[in-house]
Amino acid sequence: MMKKSGIILYSHGGALNMELNIHFHKENNILKVFIEGEIDTFTAPKLRDELEAIDIDSLVFIELDLSKVVYMDSTGLGVIVAIYKKVTRQDGNLKLVGLSNRLERLFAITGLSELMNIEADVKVV
Amino acid sequence: MEQLLRDYKQFLSDYITNLKEQNLYNGQNYVRQLIQKNVAPEDVINIHRKAVDEIFDGLPESLSHAYDFLIEVMVQYGLKTREHQSLLVQKEELRIEMDIAARIQNILLKTTIPKLEKLDIGMISEPIRKMNGDYVHFIYDERNDLSVAVADVVGKGVPAALCMSMVKNGLETLEYGNYEPSYILQVLNRIIEKSVDDGMFVSSFYGRYDLEKGILTYSSAGHEPALYFNSNDGSFYDLESKGLLLGVMPEVKYPQFNIQLEENDFIMIVTDGVTEIRNYEVAESRKLLKEIAFTLRHLSAQEMCEKIYVELQRLQDYNLNDDFTIVILKK
Amino acid sequence: MKTILEVSIHTESDIITARQVARETAKSIGFDIVDQARIVTALGEVAKNIIMYAHLGFITIRFIENEVNKGISITAVDKGPGILDIKSVLDESNTKGLGAGLPGVRRLMDTLEIESDVGKGTKVRMEKWLR
Repeated sequence: MMKKSGIILYSHGGALNMELNIHFHKENNILKVFIEGEIDTFTAPKLRDELEAIDIDSLVFIELDLSKVVYMDSTGLGVIVAIYKKVTRQDGNLKLVGLSNRLERLFAITGLSELMNIEADVKVV
Repeated sequence: MEQLLRDYKQFLSDYITNLKEQNLYNGQNYVRQLIQKNVAPEDVINIHRKAVDEIFDGLPESLSHAYDFLIEVMVQYGLKTREHQSLLVQKEELRIEMDIAARIQNILLKTTIPKLEKLDIGMISEPIRKMNGDYVHFIYDERNDLSVAVADVVGKGVPAALCMSMVKNGLETLEYGNYEPSYILQVLNRIIEKSVDDGMFVSSFYGRYDLEKGILTYSSAGHEPALYFNSNDGSFYDLESKGLLLGVMPEVKYPQFNIQLEENDFIMIVTDGVTEIRNYEVAESRKLLKEIAFTLRHLSAQEMCEKIYVELQRLQDYNLNDDFTIVILKK
Repeated sequence: MKTILEVSIHTESDIITARQVARETAKSIGFDIVDQARIVTALGEVAKNIIMYAHLGFITIRFIENEVNKGISITAVDKGPGILDIKSVLDESNTKGLGAGLPGVRRLMDTLEIESDVGKGTKVRMEKWLR
C-alpha cells in the first residue's frame, strides 16, 4: 500500500524556523522513509508519531534515509532507538542510510552503529 | 430575548441621546446579566441590529447585510477563541508540571564536590532549560578511591527526571560494594532498560580514581569521549569510548580501561552539550575545547571549568544547544 | 416538508456548497440569522475534519421534527482513519493543538453524537431545534 504524507512543523515563536519533512515510498517490499530537515525537541515527536504508525511485520524492510537531515540531537536519537526496538521486537528489519559524517560519529560514539544496520552516505558517481 | 432587546435598546438609545460616560458604564454593567443568561456575542450583535433598526426606524438593507456578516464572523471567532484558550490552559498546566519536576529534580540531584588533597576536582553543570538532563555524582569512600559518574539523560520533563532518579538510586546502592566501573554501568543499563519507555536512555561515563596510585579506571556507555591531558608532552588524548548507550539493550558488556595520572595531568569529562556547537563540526569543537583548556591549564580545576564555560558560551552568542557539563580531575 | 440533502465533501468548495444548502434549509425551517450562522459554522468544522483526516466524505442535511418542535440534523460520514479515543476528542481540556474542534461544535448545536472505528471511518451527527 502506498502511503505518502508530508508534515511541516514550525517552532513556536523561536528565532529559527524549524522544519521537518517526512515522505514514505514503498518499493517492492522495502518501505523507504525519507526524512528531511531538523530533528530536535520540537520536531522529534511528530517523527515518532509517523514512525509508530507504520505496520511492522517480518516481511517488511524499513529503510530510514537520513541524507537530508540537516541536524539531529539526542531527542532524534531517542526516536530512532524507539523505532529500532519496536522493529526488532516484531522481527522486522530496519536500516539507516545516508548518514552524514556528524551523524555517523554520533551513532559510533553511542555504540548504536555496532547495534544497528547503518550505511554511510554514498556519493553517487 | 424580548426583554433583553428592550433593555439593550434602552441603554443604546440613552447613549445615542446623551453621549455620556454614565451611559457607557450602564451598558457595560448590563453585560454581566447577558453572560448570566448565556447570551453569546453573536446574539448581542443580533440584538444590537434589531435595536438600531427600531431606534432609527428602519435599517438600510446593505447595512443589515453588514451585520449578518459580522454575526457569521463572530460565531467562528468564538469557536477559535475557545480553542486558543484551551491551548493556553494546556501550556500553563505543562509549565506547572515542569516546574514541579524541576524542583523535585533539583533536590534529588544535589551533589557535593569532595575536597581532596591529592586530587583537585572542578565541576560545572548548566542546564539549557529548567530541568538539567545532565547528572554528576561523586563518591569518596574509605578505600581512598574517588569515583565520579557523569550521566546525560535524553528527554525532558518528569520521565527524564524519574530516569535520573533511578540512576542516582542505582549508584547509591552500588556504592557499598567494591565494584568495577564496567560492572556498575552494566547494572545501570539493566535498571534503565527495564523501565520507562523505549526512547529513554542515558549516556554515561564512570571513573574510579585510586588516590594512592594515581590510576583512573574508567568505563563509558555511549558517552562523549573524555579527554586526558598529559602535562609532560603537553598533548591531549581522547579516552576511548566503546560502550552502548544505557537502556537500549538488556545485556550489555562495557569495556574498562586504566590510565596513570602524573603531576599536573588532568582528565576532562564532558557531555555532548559541550562538543555539539551548532555551526561547528564536532571535531572542530573538540579541538577548540582542547585549545581553551590548554591556555587555562595552570588554573585550579574549578576555575578551569568556569572559564571554559564562559568562553564556549561567548562563542555561541550565549545560545547553547544542550545542557553543559564539565568535570575536571587534576592531579 | 421532507428534506434530505446529501453533499459529497472532497474540496473546500464542497464545504461552501454544503454550507449554502444547510443555510437555506435552516432558513426554511424557521431558524433565525444567528442560529443559521451557528449551524453553518458547525457544519463547516466537521466538513473541514473530513477533508483534513479522511479526504473524502458526505454531509447529509435533514429536516427533523417531533410532536412539539422542528429542527435540523447534520450528519458527516467518512471512511477515514477513525478516532481512537472519542472521549478525549470531546474533552475540552485535551485539545492537541488546533485539532478537530469538536468541543466547540458541541456548543453551537443542541446535540452531538460520534461513532467511530479505527481504520473504518467516522460518523458525526448533530441536531439543532427551534427555540
